[in-house]
Amino acid sequence: MGAQAFFLAVFGLAAIGFGVAVFRTSSMVRSALALLFSQTAVGCMFLVMQTEFLGVLQIMMMATEMSIMAIFMVMFMMDPGGLGGMDMTHQKRFSIGAGVVAAGAAIAVALLADWGPVTVQAPAAAMQTRELGHELLGRSMLIFETAGVTILTAMIAATAVAIPVQRLADNGDKEVSE
Amino acid sequence: MTVAIVLLTLFGSAWLLAVIEGWTVTGRLQPAAPLLSGLAHLGRESIVPRSPDRVFFEAAPVLLLVVAVLGAAVLPLAPDLVIADLGTGALFINAALAYVLVALIMAGWGPNGAYAMIGGWRFLGQLIAYSMLIVMPITAVAMRAESLVNTAIVGSQADLWNIVYQPLGFVLFYIAAMALAFRSPFDLPTAEGELAGGVDAEYTGVRLAVLRLARLTLVVTLAAATTVFYLGGWHGPLLPPWAWSLIKTLAVAVSMLLAGGYLPRIREADLMRWCWTLGIPLALLNIVIVGLLILVVP
Amino acid sequence: MTSDPTMTLLGARHQKRPSALKKLVSRVMARNLSCLIVPGPEVALAHGLDVTAAGMRIAATPRDAGVLLIIGELSQKMDEVVAVLYAQMPRPRATLVLGGPAPSSLPHPDVSAGLSQEELTEAVGRVQRAMAEGAFAASPEDFDASVLHVRIEYVCPMHPEVVQDEPGSCPKCGMDLVAHEAGEDEGATEEASGHHGHDHEHHHDHEQQHDGSDGHSEDEHSGHEHDHGASGFMSMIEVTKDLSRSADGLQMDWLEVPFGPVFPGLPGGLKLTFTLDGDGVTGGQATSLAGMTTEGEDFEEVDAGTFIDHLASAMPLAPVSYRLLACLAIEQAAGLNDDPATTQARNAALERERIASHLGWLAQVGRQLGFAWLTHRASTLQLQFRDANRNRFVELEPALRALGTRLGRTPLLKARLKGIGVLSTESSDLRGPVARAANEGGDAWARLWQRLAEISASFDLIKGAGEPELPSLRDIGGVSGTGEATVDTPRGEANLRLKLARGHVKSYKLDTACSHHIGLVEKLVEGRELGDALVAVGSLDLSPWEVIP
Repeated sequence: MGAQAFFLAVFGLAAIGFGVAVFRTSSMVRSALALLFSQTAVGCMFLVMQTEFLGVLQIMMMATEMSIMAIFMVMFMMDPGGLGGMDMTHQKRFSIGAGVVAAGAAIAVALLADWGPVTVQAPAAAMQTRELGHELLGRSMLIFETAGVTILTAMIAATAVAIPVQRLADNGDKEVSE
Repeated sequence: MTVAIVLLTLFGSAWLLAVIEGWTVTGRLQPAAPLLSGLAHLGRESIVPRSPDRVFFEAAPVLLLVVAVLGAAVLPLAPDLVIADLGTGALFINAALAYVLVALIMAGWGPNGAYAMIGGWRFLGQLIAYSMLIVMPITAVAMRAESLVNTAIVGSQADLWNIVYQPLGFVLFYIAAMALAFRSPFDLPTAEGELAGGVDAEYTGVRLAVLRLARLTLVVTLAAATTVFYLGGWHGPLLPPWAWSLIKTLAVAVSMLLAGGYLPRIREADLMRWCWTLGIPLALLNIVIVGLLILVVP
Repeated sequence: MTSDPTMTLLGARHQKRPSALKKLVSRVMARNLSCLIVPGPEVALAHGLDVTAAGMRIAATPRDAGVLLIIGELSQKMDEVVAVLYAQMPRPRATLVLGGPAPSSLPHPDVSAGLSQEELTEAVGRVQRAMAEGAFAASPEDFDASVLHVRIEYVCPMHPEVVQDEPGSCPKCGMDLVAHEAGEDEGATEEASGHHGHDHEHHHDHEQQHDGSDGHSEDEHSGHEHDHGASGFMSMIEVTKDLSRSADGLQMDWLEVPFGPVFPGLPGGLKLTFTLDGDGVTGGQATSLAGMTTEGEDFEEVDAGTFIDHLASAMPLAPVSYRLLACLAIEQAAGLNDDPATTQARNAALERERIASHLGWLAQVGRQLGFAWLTHRASTLQLQFRDANRNRFVELEPALRALGTRLGRTPLLKARLKGIGVLSTESSDLRGPVARAANEGGDAWARLWQRLAEISASFDLIKGAGEPELPSLRDIGGVSGTGEATVDTPRGEANLRLKLARGHVKSYKLDTACSHHIGLVEKLVEGRELGDALVAVGSLDLSPWEVIP
């Protein structure tokens, strides 16, 4: 129990530390990868709390997602190397306010919600995966299916909107637009 | 103790792979060659390019090595020879290997050079192509084993290896594994003819030695994963289980290496197009077929 | 010619006396030599040198090389390039010069030798000994050259027009000014930057590169007005809205990246400068740094034999063709008639060179495409064919046929080459295999098969013609006159016009295929993905020496 609390604290602080680094650095890629490692730390927190599937999933998803975010930041932001020392924070008053409100809400939920009795022993990882599977395909199937299809539709729509009208290839050239 | 054995096997296989690679290139079997060339690298100056992103530049080779080792940590050599038989082993491999991308982005961004940068971002495009093709066959494999535990996955292949049960999945996983290890013909990030070495280009000395070791180890890890998922792991007559694992892993790794020398590099546009328009539907088909087989065949 | 290890070999560590470990490491390093060949491995093959057989691995980049192997005499621009390459090599590093004077920009070469395989092997042995003894020399000097100096100025990433000589902040937006290499000698610096010239040029604030791309700066300024959104948020989309979009519809910043002059897969001495957005080429230019300096402005009258030798040695990738060209032109000027016997032998030699040249091109293609087997096979065959006599030819025939069949069966090759670098029959200035392939589709795939077909055709011609013999000038005496000749070199028709005066060549005018083909590069690469663009340029088979400015 002590070891668990210790590692939880370590990873929690790492997550916060990397999160702060996101805004302290002016380099776009450093910022994105700092966020990545912050999320990895959260994933490690899940692992420490013995929710193995969630932890591994978090670590896996965040690596890919944050890297894609990194390239978008490089593409669309000026000075991606951060050599100009641009301030990464904008709309300071609004964001501080929003942050305080969100933190308050999270703490309130954590303290006031009824989480049910504490299990003495967390179930084994294989058992957790099994039960998670049952849950996903049983009670929560509708939620996840709708969410999945909605996200897919949004992806396809966004891509279709972003691609300019294709011109027909001429002279047998391979590609005009990718 | 198990840790020591597995790590020794991992790096020993990487060494063997390097020897075989040297054999195909020079035609001479020189067992000491990889070690000597590593030593030679250590003697050379470790150049740091001008105004690099130092954190990334240093971290990238190390991260790549760590990823390869972490991936191998959940793969069993024998029923009792596995460092950490995680409950979500099959998924964990994927999670660890996702950081290959992070390492290459760091290696691309760090040196402050156009070639490395293009190489790094190209790998991101390559990830978009191969990532589904890695995960979906693993899903089908886990479906048959009804578990994500790697030892259980091997156990489920006791009477029939997955390569026979789900050949389509094997082909897709093999191709995606080569793309993940950025071996020729998928060596877009380190393309010598197009990017003068790409992400490898700016590394010299110690860091280059670590990078090369990491690349070899990554291939061994992926070959071990292929063995565990599709080739029945340690199953086989006569020899002890770990020997079979080793033989199969080496066979897969060597085949991945050799395929590269005999094929030209794939075009980036072709890679993306084929993986998305051909690969993903086939992967989905594979899942459907495996599902049907599981339900129908007793 | 022996090297002095403590003075010339630039060691990697400052040490009084190398320890036992360092001695071991230096011996190991001496056994694991990798060399960067300048101008390029194709030149080594054209001279008949097998570097791997001599004991060195061929490195693709200076960072990976321990030995700088310089073959032949380099032009002045290449001298500067060599200095940059040398500076990029990690220490311990050594220079090995074969068959030419040492470049003036480098320190005294560690080893010099002549242009033959035996001398190369012996020279490698000397380098190995020097490396084993001197790798951790006591006091290595630092290498410096004027070409490596750049003037630093400070630019605002968002406002490229704000330029200062000292660090500070931008008066317009308050951001820190960032260091950037100077603009005025940018031409010279870029010319000289070897293939890692991007070290000198590129930072991550891509905005600054707009200094280099002229047509772009107009849009630049309008695009950089701050379009603030409703709550004072600076929208990047609005800031970049006026920047031109590239072929795939994405707005990206442009980088100017040099590819060459010593780039793996491209002919050595060819410098490409691409303007890239991401990995798409928006514009490109090709120049040759290895070519002959003039057409004959400061050309002094030389004896005919000397002229032929000079011309042949100036074109290392096709010496026999140019030797033949010069012989024919001089003999025509002298009024000599064709002699069937010599003509046959000369044609056989020409065809033999055509085969060797096309094989060398195949090896380049292999390097470019990462197709190791092709590089290895084509290089081996080229070395064997280069000076083969007729009997040897017959022995080697099955190997050639096998190469062609194997290429036809290689899975991804067609996908890689089809539709790349299309030059249709409407393009002007096409010659040689490029022109002939234009009828079959004009893409890189057609050019590959055209050159393979030419190899077969040359082969049949040699079998019918007789023993190949190097063209040598027949006796012309001290005549005067004008002569003109055209020879179908492996890269296309070359035409030479010259004036003889009493057996000496007074002036000449040379027109080659590559001079015309190099102008095609710009159109060929525009709008292509980087890999496709490089393959397209490679398929033209440009020889930078044959580019007459």
